[in-house]
Amino acid sequence: MEAVERNAKLVMLKNDLKKEQRNLFVRRFISNKLAVTGLIIISILTFLVTIGPLITSYGPNEMVVDERLEGPSSAHWLGTDNLGRDLFTRIVFGAQLSMGVGLSVAVITSILGIVIGLYASYYRVLDNVLMRICDGLMSLPGILLAIALLAALGPSTKNVIIALSVVYTPNVARVVRSAALVVREETYIEAMKSQGASSLRIIWGHIAPNTLSPLIVQSTFIFANAIIVEAALSFLGAGVPPPDPSLGNILFDGKLVIFTAWWMVLFPGICIILSVLGLNLFGDGLRDILDPHSN
Amino acid sequence: MVDQPLLRIKELRTHFHTERGRVTAVDGITLHVEEREILGVVGESGCGKSVTSQSILRLFDEKRTVKYEGEIHFKSKNLLKISNANMQKIRGNDIAMIFQDPLSSLNPVYTIGYQITESIMLHQKLQKKKAYEKAVEMLRLTGIPAPEKRVNDYPHELSGGMRQRAMIAMALACQPRLLIADEPTTALDVTIQAQILDLINRLNQELNMSVIFITHDLGVIAEICTRVVVMYLGQIVEEADVEKLFSNPLHPYTKGLMKSIPQIDGDRSQALHVIEGTVPSLHDVPNGCRFASRCPYASDLCRAKMPELKIVKTGQKVRCWHYEEILEKEEVDV
Amino acid sequence: MKIYVLKRVLSLVPILFIVSIMIFMIIHVTPGDPATVMLGDTATTEQVEALRNELGLNIPIYQQYINWITGILHGDLGYSFFMRQSVTMAIISHLGPTVSLAIMAQIMAIIIGIPVGIIAANRKGSLTDQSIMGLSLLGISIPSFLLALLLILLFGVKLQWLPVAGYKALSEGMWVHLKYLILPIIALGSMQVALIARMTRNSMLEVLNMDYIKTARSKGIKERNIVYKHALRNAFLPILTIVGQSFAVLVAGAAVVETVFNIPGIGQLIINSIERRDFAVIQGIVLFVALVYVLINLVVDLLYGVIDPRVRLNHK
Repeated sequence: MEAVERNAKLVMLKNDLKKEQRNLFVRRFISNKLAVTGLIIISILTFLVTIGPLITSYGPNEMVVDERLEGPSSAHWLGTDNLGRDLFTRIVFGAQLSMGVGLSVAVITSILGIVIGLYASYYRVLDNVLMRICDGLMSLPGILLAIALLAALGPSTKNVIIALSVVYTPNVARVVRSAALVVREETYIEAMKSQGASSLRIIWGHIAPNTLSPLIVQSTFIFANAIIVEAALSFLGAGVPPPDPSLGNILFDGKLVIFTAWWMVLFPGICIILSVLGLNLFGDGLRDILDPHSN
Repeated sequence: MVDQPLLRIKELRTHFHTERGRVTAVDGITLHVEEREILGVVGESGCGKSVTSQSILRLFDEKRTVKYEGEIHFKSKNLLKISNANMQKIRGNDIAMIFQDPLSSLNPVYTIGYQITESIMLHQKLQKKKAYEKAVEMLRLTGIPAPEKRVNDYPHELSGGMRQRAMIAMALACQPRLLIADEPTTALDVTIQAQILDLINRLNQELNMSVIFITHDLGVIAEICTRVVVMYLGQIVEEADVEKLFSNPLHPYTKGLMKSIPQIDGDRSQALHVIEGTVPSLHDVPNGCRFASRCPYASDLCRAKMPELKIVKTGQKVRCWHYEEILEKEEVDV
Repeated sequence: MKIYVLKRVLSLVPILFIVSIMIFMIIHVTPGDPATVMLGDTATTEQVEALRNELGLNIPIYQQYINWITGILHGDLGYSFFMRQSVTMAIISHLGPTVSLAIMAQIMAIIIGIPVGIIAANRKGSLTDQSIMGLSLLGISIPSFLLALLLILLFGVKLQWLPVAGYKALSEGMWVHLKYLILPIIALGSMQVALIARMTRNSMLEVLNMDYIKTARSKGIKERNIVYKHALRNAFLPILTIVGQSFAVLVAGAAVVETVFNIPGIGQLIINSIERRDFAVIQGIVLFVALVYVLINLVVDLLYGVIDPRVRLNHK
């Protein structure tokens, strides 16, 4: 009976502690200007990209031949491109696609990275093999590896996501692994092992939660980087194939007409800069909040 | 003219700006150091003894985090009033300092010879070659074997005791009038500790220099100091000659510290004395006597009003409302 | 020190082995038959079969790898059927502009990034620091090709100060060479400037908190010497790492920037090869950049030993 009561109390205490930690996190977050600014920028962009298709009266690939290369006007807020397509509409759909690719890459690399990182930190032999492969992958500049993979796989949105996931998974795995190695050395993990806790429970129940903070920070930066590299790949013609708009291939069209249509470079450019800047601000802020020692 | 003390600190206050507001780590310290004396400063960690010593050399970042108040007189100058450039001429030249952890206190990417000659060349304007000769001489003085070889070693190539000797050699290179030793033996083995204490004692006499010796270890104080200042939470609570302090401690905190020293011939069945509670946070300094929350003799008066540091009959100074009653009570108990 | 060098060099072998396998596999992850992909749909079965033989695709895969790697060890990166020349020659003939661009971007990144980072660290929290940090955050948020386009828009189209495309070799004179490279250099180098500045600041701030900085101050060393002699040398290791990594990133990034400015370098070569599915050239370039990266890291590691005496000791 007493034991039950004590347990109930413990659970309550634990919940209080969790609440306390959550409150602390929220308070720190609100007082962190970087994180809040970043979040605001991302929210506004997400909002615009979501409602964009509803407020425009054009389709992303809808061509009006005699309205080619028109500057911003009330009919075409951001002008039209060299094929007479509405630039605002294309940017909205392009940003949707670019941010979608970035988010997919962030999610996929997080999942793969945490699995690889955790198991590498736990089993020494596996560690040697996996980390050598990661070293190999990381000894190639990301964009070059992505170009090579896309050259082999052929350009498509799906392949861009695959290539970027291959490029960035080693990053996440390394971050997770080094966080996990720190926890692994803690005495309570040793104690659990000696009491015969299963490795599955130790890895996912006790080590994994401790790697979440650096993982979240890292995936924010990967999200940002993936947007950059996707844009570059599509700009080079190795990424999202036309006519589907992505911020990168809109800029490719823009380059062709840069002497006559500044809007085709400036507006999609601002869109890329804002989304990447927002994510980087958010990531920097998160890192300050979650890991005050790093700076 | 009467003999002036070498260093005279009056009502020193050191404030820090932190994220959680302003904190006063040193709160009204008044003390002096005589020529050739070794003054001990003792207290638990966080009592402000290190901050006091670093305030003397103004080592904190005055642009952003720290603000000093009060006076620090050294050689007829108020160190808190002089320019930064003049302060740099005093640091390492007139007043030198050694720190707790010699490994982290020596720059890992330069040889100890380089680090010693640096201040010699700066303050004494010696040529590089002469400065190196001097460095070797200083290393020899501190008892490092084969100093002409060791001078080219990097800090990580020396043992802990050797490193602290090298630190001392570096500090004494310009024959300072005052050496501030901030827990110089805490990070060392007991046998090495004794050697370093001997060394400081010897150099104090040979070089005619005064020493401020900061420690949390009363045993070390007994061994080396002539006079002692006991600090608690940024204030001095007791000041006395070393014999008087040990034979007749007045402040309840000092008494507590004395009782927590293990005695070889003591009663082993009895648990070692522990001062109850912990030092209050500097963010939350009590109104009355700062020791009241941990003091077995604390009264309402103690909790309401801060006692002054008073000179008592024996020549000691103590900051306590009830030291006389406590003394009488103890005599009755005995 | 000799053993340290040897150890570093030997540790490269497994990495290079893995990299070589990955690059070798590029051609084999292509969906469908590489020869068919290369020749297009119009090719006859005989043509495809002939190319498969020429590419060596009909022998067992491990044998293919051994042949390929043996060639590479002899300096033979393969043969481009489209360009009718060896890949090694193709790379060498395109190397000049890329190397010139990457080196100058690197120089710009170092001579701006490091001092700016030091200034920011010295004045932590000040308006100067905040502006520098804000700008550098902006710097890492603009992809090089986009910055290139924006620069063309401003300096080429609007102000008409600088040429917006093309390349003039160094042999035509330093000024002409530079004039055509200024915009590409800025476009390529800016992100590295920002990265190096951030790294320098963090590293300096960390070192300035160390005990030995306090010791130096207590010796009466001037603030300037504390920063440049005592702090910088210690802060230099992480900075050096970033600088080392940045060079390979710059070579790869040059590929993208070159296409914007129509510079006939490695970048243009690889982009054209992607369109032509010229796998031998793609593999050759990727391998080449990986080698550059690995070798520069080796140099960085060896420099560690020079700068920090502790590194030498740990590897004795």
